[in-house]
Amino acid sequence: MATKRFAFVIETERCIDCKACMVSCSVENNVPVGHHRNWVHQIGIKGTFPDVGMSFEPGQCMHCENPPCERVCPVGATYRRDDGLVMVDQDVCIGCKYCIEACPYDARYFNEETGVTDKCTACVHRVYQGEEPACVATCIGGARHFGDINDPNSEVAKLLATNDYYRVYEAAGTEPGVYYIYKGGRKA
Amino acid sequence: MSKDERDDIVQYSMSRRKFLGLSAAGAAGASLTGLGFDKLQAYAAKHGDVAKTTIPDGEVHTLCEMCVWRCGVIAKVRDGKITKLEGNPDHPHSRGKLCPRGQAGLGMTYDPDRVKTPLIRVGKRGEGKFRKVTWEEALDYTAARMNELKEKYGAESMIFSTTHNLIQQQFENLLRAYGSPNYGTQRGLCFNAMITANSLTWGLDEPGRDYTDTDYVIYTGRNLMEAISNSETQDLVEALAKGAKVVVLDPRFTKTAARATEWVPIKPGNDLAFYLAMLHEIIKNDWYDHEFVEEYTHGFDQLAEEVRQYTPEWAEQRCDVPAENIRRIAREFSVAAPRAFAHPNWRTSNFENSFQTERAIAALNAICGCWSQPGSLQPAAGEGEGVELGGIPQPPYPRVRALRLDGVPWQHPVVPLKLGIFQKNRDAILTGKPYQAHGWFIYRQNPLSSISDRRKTLEAFSKLDFIVTIDIIMNDTAYYSDVILPEATYLERYDPLMVMEDSVFIRQPVIKPLFDSKPGLWIFQEIGKRLGLEKYFQYDGEEDYITQQLKPLDVTLEELKNKGYFTVVKEHTGEHSEELHFGTKTGKVELSSTVLEQLGMKGVPHWQEPMTPSENQFYLLTGKVATHTQFATQNNEYLHDLFPENPLWINTKEAEKRGIKNGDDIYVESEIGKVKTKAYVTEGIRPDSVFMVAGFGHVSKGLRTAFNEGVSDSDLHISYTDPVSGSQALSQTFVKVYKA
Repeated sequence: MATKRFAFVIETERCIDCKACMVSCSVENNVPVGHHRNWVHQIGIKGTFPDVGMSFEPGQCMHCENPPCERVCPVGATYRRDDGLVMVDQDVCIGCKYCIEACPYDARYFNEETGVTDKCTACVHRVYQGEEPACVATCIGGARHFGDINDPNSEVAKLLATNDYYRVYEAAGTEPGVYYIYKGGRKA
Repeated sequence: MSKDERDDIVQYSMSRRKFLGLSAAGAAGASLTGLGFDKLQAYAAKHGDVAKTTIPDGEVHTLCEMCVWRCGVIAKVRDGKITKLEGNPDHPHSRGKLCPRGQAGLGMTYDPDRVKTPLIRVGKRGEGKFRKVTWEEALDYTAARMNELKEKYGAESMIFSTTHNLIQQQFENLLRAYGSPNYGTQRGLCFNAMITANSLTWGLDEPGRDYTDTDYVIYTGRNLMEAISNSETQDLVEALAKGAKVVVLDPRFTKTAARATEWVPIKPGNDLAFYLAMLHEIIKNDWYDHEFVEEYTHGFDQLAEEVRQYTPEWAEQRCDVPAENIRRIAREFSVAAPRAFAHPNWRTSNFENSFQTERAIAALNAICGCWSQPGSLQPAAGEGEGVELGGIPQPPYPRVRALRLDGVPWQHPVVPLKLGIFQKNRDAILTGKPYQAHGWFIYRQNPLSSISDRRKTLEAFSKLDFIVTIDIIMNDTAYYSDVILPEATYLERYDPLMVMEDSVFIRQPVIKPLFDSKPGLWIFQEIGKRLGLEKYFQYDGEEDYITQQLKPLDVTLEELKNKGYFTVVKEHTGEHSEELHFGTKTGKVELSSTVLEQLGMKGVPHWQEPMTPSENQFYLLTGKVATHTQFATQNNEYLHDLFPENPLWINTKEAEKRGIKNGDDIYVESEIGKVKTKAYVTEGIRPDSVFMVAGFGHVSKGLRTAFNEGVSDSDLHISYTDPVSGSQALSQTFVKVYKA
């Protein structure tokens, strides 16, 4: 049996850029105001009036299979779990910020209150209680999905099996664990 | 907050939240020292009356109040503190999800800027100097002033206003028992045109919408993906995913326009022309639903006669939508019908002719038979209907003889009494006609920010002898009030029950009220007692009030509290009854309104020329973002962080002409005011229009996050009111824009 590979699958065309995911994450994970573990990128407004387009790309830590943040950590605080999630051991982190620089997705921030690096944990504390990550649970458009893509019966695996998708900066060899589903090409 | 010599004096100053060792995210991208949420809670716990032991860890089912949609919420509690809010999957408005405002609800309850004790003003109005007082003193003083005004000038000299909410019944109870006819609600500022037009046409306030089976939807200025109505926004996303065609008429490229199938960048104020031409096309080409028209409508011949002149070419000249597109959309809509609807919207283009626009939209739906069919408009029962509740004993109210200051119905016979014309209360204070108002009782409302032309509202305030405001934070109106009574937030109190379809939902406290705040039900009763009106407030605390409401139902308060809702088992009569009924005078859909005819007006929707800007002026458009609710959430740390200020959208070419670059400081100037803000230069807006999000530019120094962030549209907006429906016409304000 294949090992677990937790991943996010995002249907970008369902995202309405409301940012409920961002607030939900901040409250759930006690993220200091002014920082965020996740985001919604607005692409556009592109074109010339009235032929314009705009789309949205939500994201957070990509939970890479080959995470550059892990390689640069001098103390081994950043590590990859067997279930595919990349974590920061806050008791080990010395706050050197190398990983913040190394992340091509800008997914990490330095928490001044705790003195260590922080980022998305995929709400692993919720996931193993049978709950969805906070961002997924509240997604108004139903754009965000999370699950084990190695389980063919999971919602995420089914979405990937039946749709075109892309991952961000695939060329960097990070093997990110966030898949963006699109229909008819990346819009706007 | 700096302290006066005396301990009980509060002097609000504009210093930021440094006392917490924190600074808010600056508008210019200053360093973002975080405001940790647990710090807020710790602060509240230290300074407030937090129930340290009585609240068990767990989950409480309640109702959101970050906007008026009232989603079901599951609040998680740990160590006496609320740690997270989730959407209740069992509530039809949330379906397990909350929007960003709902998610940020803790930012309101744990806002360090909450009014912590009752306050009585000691400085000049607007000086921000108050004395901390006990509830006893604040309530005694309030009641004494209200009784004094009543004796001196009559009960009608007090205006009572609130934003419609679950406790409406007790608000109105106080108003009626006191004996004033002067009732103000936000509705005149929002959707009088929509409600009035729909009730004259269909005989109900606002038709429901079936998104499940719809193939075609047209929105007119409704921006569901930024002005979120949680469940309906979810419905729209699902409809789009299933392949429904969605057409958005909006001068601005909103997020809804971006997600829609087709964006029609229509000229402001002229959507009426678009719909009159749609009616013209569909009737001329015989694409309408003969059976529905013959059986269920009144006045089709007059309508057909009226719209004969409104060709798509005629409309193109006005609304700036190519005639061929109007023809195509008319064809597509009538082919999709009845699995289609033109949405009733909120305000359409927000002009004095919006009432006619709404009537034309209703007529379009009617002649295409888009009523009570899968995917069409629905004869939905409104919120509050569906389950009969018990109530507290209701003695008769004193008879009120005075006219209403807002002119309803004596000057505006068509405007429903429950809507009124809010902004006209303000104007009546200034004119002293038909008589002089002397006091204003303001509850969960912020008229200083919400009514157009803030200077006028301030001037009106200065003419009043007494203003009392009940609020949670020191909003702008509270800041200019004489007495401020701090209410508990929606996570700390009960409210009367919410009825929806076959179910009742409860708002209940998750934690005890922080600081010295009190629930609305308690406040109303205490004021009532002191006014000698205790017989109108016969309940023994919040729980007893709810218990009395539950009397006819087979459920106890405890059971209701545990689950959050109770569904009444009803005998359904099976299928929708074949017969359609309409609550109009003719019992039919009135394409020609008998009410309007009777008043000597034209009964059918017809062209009404909108005002147009002169050379070098823009239409000033305003609207919402998903992260804020009107004027109420700018001080919420989470939401301020995501959207701290409101730059002005301006079209690239128009900006270039004026030498304005993205991010530049600019002046926006209308006939009544001028504000300095930043430019957001974009291709996503018509060249003749500019846009800003409403609700910013707070003047209260008691709002240490929101104070002076962004600008207030109310400093620019001229007050225009449609005399028929009483709707304000915000987009009729035109502005000049130039580099600062």
